[in-house]
Amino acid sequence: MTSLRLTAVAVTLMVAAATVLGVRQRPAAPAIAPSTSPNGELRRGADLYALHCASCHGTAGQGTDDGVPLLGAGAAAVDFMLSTGRMPLADPRQPMVRHRLGWSRRDIDAIVAFVVSVAPGGPPIPAVHPEGGDLARGQQIFAANCAPCHGTAGQGAAIGEGADAPDLHEASPVEIAEAVRIGPDPMPAFDAGIIGQHDLDSLVRYVVFLRMPPDPGGFSLGHLGPVAEGFIAWIVGFAGLFVIIRLIGTTT
Amino acid sequence: MIRRLVLWLDDRLGAASFARKALRKAFPDHWAFMLGEVALYAYLALVVTGVFLTFFFTASGEDVVYQGSYAPLRGERMSAAYASVLRLSFDVRSGLVMRQIHHWAALVFVAAIVAHALRVFFTGAFRRPREINWLIGTGLLLLAMAAGFTGYSLPDDLLSGTGIRIAYSVLLSIPVVGTWAAFLFFGGEFPAPITIGRLLALHIMLIQAFILGALGLHLAIIWHQKHTQFRAPGRTEDTVVGSPLWPSYAMKSAGLGLAVFAVLAALGGLFQINPVWLYGPYDPTTVSSPAQPDWYIGWLEGALRLMPNWELRGFGHTIPEPFFPGVLLPGLLITTYALWPFIEQRVTGDRQVHHFLDRGRDAPGRSAVGVAGLAFMVLLTLAGSNDIMARFFGVPVETVTVVLRGVVLIVPAVAGWVTYIVCRELKAAEARPAPAWHALRRGPGGGYVAEDEER
Amino acid sequence: MRPVERPIAAMLLLSIGASLALAAVYAAGGQPQLEGVLLAVSLGMLGAAVITWALRLLPQEEVTDVREPEPSSPAVRAAATAALERGEEQLTGRRTLGRLLLGALAGLALVALFPIRSLGPRPGRSMFHTEWQPGTYVVDGSGRRVRDGELAVDSVITVFPEGYGGSPVSLALLIRIDPAALRLPAGRETWAPKGHVAFSKICTHAGCPVGLYRAAAHQLLCPCHQSTFDVVRGAAPIFGPTTRALPQLPLRIDAEGYLRATGDFSAPVGPGFWELSRGTNRRDAPASS
Repeated sequence: MTSLRLTAVAVTLMVAAATVLGVRQRPAAPAIAPSTSPNGELRRGADLYALHCASCHGTAGQGTDDGVPLLGAGAAAVDFMLSTGRMPLADPRQPMVRHRLGWSRRDIDAIVAFVVSVAPGGPPIPAVHPEGGDLARGQQIFAANCAPCHGTAGQGAAIGEGADAPDLHEASPVEIAEAVRIGPDPMPAFDAGIIGQHDLDSLVRYVVFLRMPPDPGGFSLGHLGPVAEGFIAWIVGFAGLFVIIRLIGTTT
Repeated sequence: MIRRLVLWLDDRLGAASFARKALRKAFPDHWAFMLGEVALYAYLALVVTGVFLTFFFTASGEDVVYQGSYAPLRGERMSAAYASVLRLSFDVRSGLVMRQIHHWAALVFVAAIVAHALRVFFTGAFRRPREINWLIGTGLLLLAMAAGFTGYSLPDDLLSGTGIRIAYSVLLSIPVVGTWAAFLFFGGEFPAPITIGRLLALHIMLIQAFILGALGLHLAIIWHQKHTQFRAPGRTEDTVVGSPLWPSYAMKSAGLGLAVFAVLAALGGLFQINPVWLYGPYDPTTVSSPAQPDWYIGWLEGALRLMPNWELRGFGHTIPEPFFPGVLLPGLLITTYALWPFIEQRVTGDRQVHHFLDRGRDAPGRSAVGVAGLAFMVLLTLAGSNDIMARFFGVPVETVTVVLRGVVLIVPAVAGWVTYIVCRELKAAEARPAPAWHALRRGPGGGYVAEDEER
Repeated sequence: MRPVERPIAAMLLLSIGASLALAAVYAAGGQPQLEGVLLAVSLGMLGAAVITWALRLLPQEEVTDVREPEPSSPAVRAAATAALERGEEQLTGRRTLGRLLLGALAGLALVALFPIRSLGPRPGRSMFHTEWQPGTYVVDGSGRRVRDGELAVDSVITVFPEGYGGSPVSLALLIRIDPAALRLPAGRETWAPKGHVAFSKICTHAGCPVGLYRAAAHQLLCPCHQSTFDVVRGAAPIFGPTTRALPQLPLRIDAEGYLRATGDFSAPVGPGFWELSRGTNRRDAPASS
């Protein structure tokens, strides 16, 4: 009787805990205040650039063996790399991934202004207004262009040769728009000829929507799909039933 | 009151003589014999929830424009089937939980069948006179998988539609008749609007008819032949010992059934499964990552991912690569599995009737083959998620694939060999008398003296 | 109530409570998590009660059944065999009629197969030909014609033939890369004007859309089974189970700057099939690699 009772109590507690957790929602990701024009002191930018960037990208953005030339990269690219912490990259052979920021917005703007002044050309920081976009249009564009690499809920996926399409939940609207326009390695670029301004607004609106995707069914299991569901079927469903039949049946 | 009912039935059907024996029939109580029951109750849950779902599903591939309550898809073109599933999930009270219970029940149903089949295999319960039931059981396993595949493809979402596309390509790969088989089965070149209606007819009617018939036979044969049992002191090959059907076993079984429903209800409410609104409607021009089928089809997916790019071309014809992992491999595996009782009879020469069960160690060869086969299937299933594993372990997916190609051949062989040795050792150890234990005591002269106490 | 009955009573009360709570949740509009958990408690507590009752309250008795050997007694077997044989004797001996009977049954069996042919159309032209023809305009998903200059380098877009009827065999990917990087197979030097290359988007392995493009490496990846294609060398397969390159669509830029096809794909699109080789000897394009 004791083991049966204990099991019943444990199961009840676990179920209660799971219900509370399952109904709770995912918190929103913090957004970085967007900056749409490179307003910063050129001098400050030059100093920061010389300290952190020149060793790989060259003193005037001409590039070296360790870093690509910045001519024609554009304010969007520089702002994206700095805002997401992908740059500075300590080891050029490492993949560029999101990191916690060491910069302030003022520093980033200054470096962007400096780079644009010595290595002009390339896409400017895009203007984006997600509130003016259409959610359903955004879903269509996302499904056609983004979901194959980033997953249907923007959770990210492996895309071969060690490359990784990251999850999109921390990206701010400006960062999303910048990535779409510049195509940071290994991503392809989608400029205005492919995704116009209204489509971009819609797409960004949908990606922001995916920060809290509608999961009315319960635990989303990382949006990994049938693989995660299969694991749960065995280690929660079948395992639970296994325990129960061990309790009911004999061992002879 | 029940007594009055039994007498009423006896007046018309002569039921009392059946009831007299049936109600006292012995049912062995070993927990491992309940795995099949778990599958049975999962199937019952599938039927009950499934009937509810059929009252809402539209089995049509024709395009409609969605105007329901899920905002990100409003105004989009999609098949009527997909739209009906969205409506059920968002606009019908308890619709989502019924859908989820149904899908979780399908995953647990096949899991229970596999566990039950493994139990039957490793205990040798398929030996004479139960070969027929093994064949029926194989059929039930295949029907369950077919029901699952057709079922999760009904919503016509991007993920399951991709799976249907792959199934179409595997059909195409069959030599000589492949293109005809694909066009006839699907009703035209992929994607044909009529396919969904056919999947529904298969899923709710044809496959269920076969399952119910096979299940009835399966249970009737067990009832008639009586269940097997493990060896124990006092038991013989000619008797079977257990709880009486009424009331003891019936209550335990009913309780188990309720427990199965309870677990499925908990899964259905707490764990989201198949969120088709996130996948979007099926669109043959795009695809999502990651892309996997439900777990019990995973071994086929893994085989398709691991198979190297070998193709046969000659005399103006091609046997394309998907044929080998998609048709040939499963054909060989299923045939071997189905015919196993006869293969074992031929190899061991044992054609005796057996009502006692083996333990794993009693049949080292069978256990070795079983472990090797199981390891192979598990590794293939894992290989189906090679991109997820690659991301999780931070390793390129190409490396995972190449490594798994070797692993999937070597590990089952090693596991089978180790199993064989272990079983043989355990069996031999039982045959040897256990060493006697002696207590040692310090003797008066300083040395040790054995007290002749045997454990 | 005896002490041993109390836990069972508690479980049954919990079950009743959960059922009532579930009714309230349903009446209030429903909520999936609550519905599932309350249903689980209601069923589970009832099940636990029944099992506990069976294990603790019922007398634990064992019954023994005797197994009858399956084979019937020799007398019964002989009688059954005799009944079979008597029937056979009465039927045989009329050889011609017997053969005609078999013939009639075989005929009906053949006829029964005919409705299977009605299930679908004959596999045909679409296995070898798409809607792309010489001069067809390249259009994007909204039907707009694509011009030179709209696509930046390292961009990718899904395109269709103008007048697309909906059959996905015509689906294509348009990618723009630096012309100096191209290493297309022989005979395709004119197929990629200003670095615009177009390939079938349907994977030659199992038909999934090849939706992933690693721009810097110029490689297309199919997410279904990881077949990988090298764009600069004409989408030649470089990893994975696929055995054939993605068929290439020959392009030109017309006087107004629009992109147009100059013929159908270089090979039948999509996964392989028995009659595949018939389609690789084309008049309008060189054979695929």
